[in-house]
Amino acid sequence: MKKIIPFLFILHSLTGRTQTGFSDSSRYIELKEVTVPVKNGSSRQQLVRFVRTGQAASLEDIMSRIPELNLLRRGSYGMEPSIRSLSSGQINVLIDGMRIHGACTDKMDPPTIYIEPVNLDRMEVQTGNHGFLHGSAIGGSINLAVASPSCHAVSKISGLFSSGYQSAAQAFYESLQLNYAGPRWSLLGSITGRKAAAYRSGGGDKVAFSQYEKINYSLSAIYQYNPQTRIKLDFIGDNGWNISYPALPMDVGYAAAGIASVSLEKENPLKKITRWRVKAYANQVRHYMDDTHRPNVPMHMDMPGKSQTAGLYSDGEIRLNSRQQIRFTADLSLTYLKASMTMYQTGQLPMYMLTWPDNRKDQAGAGASWQWQADSNWSLRATARIDLVNYTLRSQEAKDHISILGFPDAARSGFLKNISFGATRRISPVLKTNASIGWAERMPTASEYYGFYLFNAQDGYDYIGNPDLRPEQSLLGELNMTVQGKKAEFKLGGFYQYIRRYIMGRINTSYSSMTIGANGVKTWEALPYAILTGIEASLVWKPVDEVSLISTLRYTYGKTNKGEALPMIAPLKNLSALRYQPGRVFLQAETEQASRQQRYSLAYGEDATAAYTLLHVRSGYSFSLWQKKTDLQAGIENILDKKYHEHTDWGNIPRPGRNFYMQLLMRF
Amino acid sequence: MKKPVLILISFALLCVLVFLSACGKDTAENNPTAGLTKVAEGYAAGAAAKVELYTKETTLTSGYTRFYVALYDSVSGNRIDEAHISLTPMMDMGSMTHSAPYENPVSENAEKHLFPCSVTFIMSSMGGSWTLKLNVHNHLNNKEGSLTLPLTISEPVKSRQKSFTASHNGAKYFISLITPSAANSKVGINDFEIAIYKKASMMSWPADSSLTVSLTPEMPTMGHGSPNNVDPVHTGKGHYKGKVNFTMTGLWRLNLDFMSGGSVADTTQYFDVEF
Ligand SMILES: [Cu+2]
Repeated sequence: MKKIIPFLFILHSLTGRTQTGFSDSSRYIELKEVTVPVKNGSSRQQLVRFVRTGQAASLEDIMSRIPELNLLRRGSYGMEPSIRSLSSGQINVLIDGMRIHGACTDKMDPPTIYIEPVNLDRMEVQTGNHGFLHGSAIGGSINLAVASPSCHAVSKISGLFSSGYQSAAQAFYESLQLNYAGPRWSLLGSITGRKAAAYRSGGGDKVAFSQYEKINYSLSAIYQYNPQTRIKLDFIGDNGWNISYPALPMDVGYAAAGIASVSLEKENPLKKITRWRVKAYANQVRHYMDDTHRPNVPMHMDMPGKSQTAGLYSDGEIRLNSRQQIRFTADLSLTYLKASMTMYQTGQLPMYMLTWPDNRKDQAGAGASWQWQADSNWSLRATARIDLVNYTLRSQEAKDHISILGFPDAARSGFLKNISFGATRRISPVLKTNASIGWAERMPTASEYYGFYLFNAQDGYDYIGNPDLRPEQSLLGELNMTVQGKKAEFKLGGFYQYIRRYIMGRINTSYSSMTIGANGVKTWEALPYAILTGIEASLVWKPVDEVSLISTLRYTYGKTNKGEALPMIAPLKNLSALRYQPGRVFLQAETEQASRQQRYSLAYGEDATAAYTLLHVRSGYSFSLWQKKTDLQAGIENILDKKYHEHTDWGNIPRPGRNFYMQLLMRF
Repeated sequence: MKKPVLILISFALLCVLVFLSACGKDTAENNPTAGLTKVAEGYAAGAAAKVELYTKETTLTSGYTRFYVALYDSVSGNRIDEAHISLTPMMDMGSMTHSAPYENPVSENAEKHLFPCSVTFIMSSMGGSWTLKLNVHNHLNNKEGSLTLPLTISEPVKSRQKSFTASHNGAKYFISLITPSAANSKVGINDFEIAIYKKASMMSWPADSSLTVSLTPEMPTMGHGSPNNVDPVHTGKGHYKGKVNFTMTGLWRLNLDFMSGGSVADTTQYFDVEF
């Protein structure tokens, strides 16, 4: 569900960040107030100003506006990001470089729920051919870079208070952030609460079981050892309760996450190693899922889960000379997972089984990306990474479970190799092209190896793990083009991805389903291959200083080796925003359009999804209160009160209808 | 220069002492009947032997019951490890008497001082009184004698004993579940073992190896089964062994179909196991 939306999202490419002229499909979405000096009035730099928003929006709102991302939606909370239709184990979702695994076997808790935009410095979305630098993955990476305390703040204590309300879900949002800037120590703390009731969909019907409540808190401390070196401590806590998922048969009574890290960071632009960081981290997620509140449940069921991850990583940048630079990373992590299910029938002993037989994934990897600005027209980039991954079952009980499936020894290991090359050529002062090709591999997930009768509400099958799976492999080619005018920027990109051993559930008639009412059992199997191809385009236009227009377009086509449609592929989508900002006031009109999706995966329980057009308006007013900038924003989303759902929404649950929102951002 | 030697010697002695005491303890723990329950005892007069009857279970219930017989010289109390034992179970129902399937000790040499054997109590003591006659031929003194022990057999929580009249030949078959039980079941692969006996007469209950058995476990409350079970096959003396897979704890029903060649013997039998 849409929360309070940032008044304009920004598509800010890597080029703007490194100024070395590399143009590929990586995006860095800056969410903090960025103080980039507006120099020559190029459209991109002017638009950087718009970035300073989003604290009151949920991360999901921001993600939903990035062309390469889609959200797999099971409820208004915990939407799972997918990059170009690849998700879960096919992509890396990292928090400040840290790995974190959800504790829910039904993927109710992607790592993105633990970061409130108020804690977010920037979101790094790396698609395609360089997206595996931080972890072997075939679909790219999303890294949520967490905000650091500001050491150079004007006043010792500063802060930000924000508050919001939206009508469709009668949702409240309150957040407080405090920063202390001392000579050596600086601290940043935040606390955010969200409470949403079941929302109203277009046309006025309430969507039952769509409410949630959560509180998120964080503390970050920096000790500046010397001008180049600092030590950083971070903690993020997140507690959610009464979270419902209308597309799933289960709710979450309680979910808690704790994420902690300590890092040493060195930065010295004059040295050969310009930036270097080493970080040790640990996190734990607990998840209590049950169906106590659902009507017509034949048998009450509890499904608790736990995930624990500990890791160590180091990354940095080496400047070989003024034209060459290397980014490197080396990391290792241990991820422990355990989830179980207990069903109760009066007069009988409880029925208990492990849905994730306790298992651990040990991973060690290293990667590097080399960039070379050959001359003013050519630049090259090569990225490589290797990973050693080892999966083990951690108890006799877990081994006993998997032995039923025919695997007395289910420990598995893999050696993953990833490599890519890209070249960028400036054809003329306005036109730049980029081409890249890459090979990437990813390990099967714990669910794909060891999942034990995990019910998938989308296709209605119980899923069984398969330790015989081998790593998925991808060959990806990409072409991008950027036309950079004085007042406009146009980007067009296309990709073609051949995925070998594409992992998908296949009906297994020799098994009987465990879940009452399920259609049957599917075992994870590898298709010989699958193809994903698509285009992405974006236009940024700023005809005059007061007016700006952003429009994005994306289309993905996916098929199996037999020509059948791949599941969870969004149709052609367009997002456009026109903004008028004469001074302290801004007005913005947006359209969101999706075409009809007729290519759907029947095997995955999908059906056709209707086209829709949505209209949103937003407005804002900035003023000074006690000499600090204060923002007041209000708007209406889905003005036409359209009843619609996206193709990647599970269970065809309608999205929120007309939604009036307002929010206040006060700095002090 | 002598002191270190003395210390070394005393240390060595200490080691030996500790070792010996540990050994002694070990033999004490090697009591062959540790963990077993003595259900009856008596004297086989003619054989000059004291007979003790043990089981793994604390109470006797109807179904296949494994016994462990311990023999002692009735004078010296020493163990008798060489003897020939034969069993005769008997049910007295007042108006009639009948025997039951049984398995005599396979060897005349004791296995860890015990003689394993079995009786399949096809009913509980509700309908009459059970006795077990043991004939003992003591190989140490070459004397023979017998004794009769009364036994009380109760009904188990979940029946381990079934019978049916086969549709292919009209004979009565008795099926006993040996394993799994509530006590030894786990989520995972479990050994499955039944014994099949045919009633030839009131006094003759031979083991049967003529049937083929197929096993289909299910959870009656949820209506699902489990994958990759192994149908029990005959391994000797009427025993059929296979594998049963439990995907979760709870109440499981082990459905059994019996075939004789191509014709159906029975498809209505099942055992319930709840753990
Ligand atoms: Cu869950």
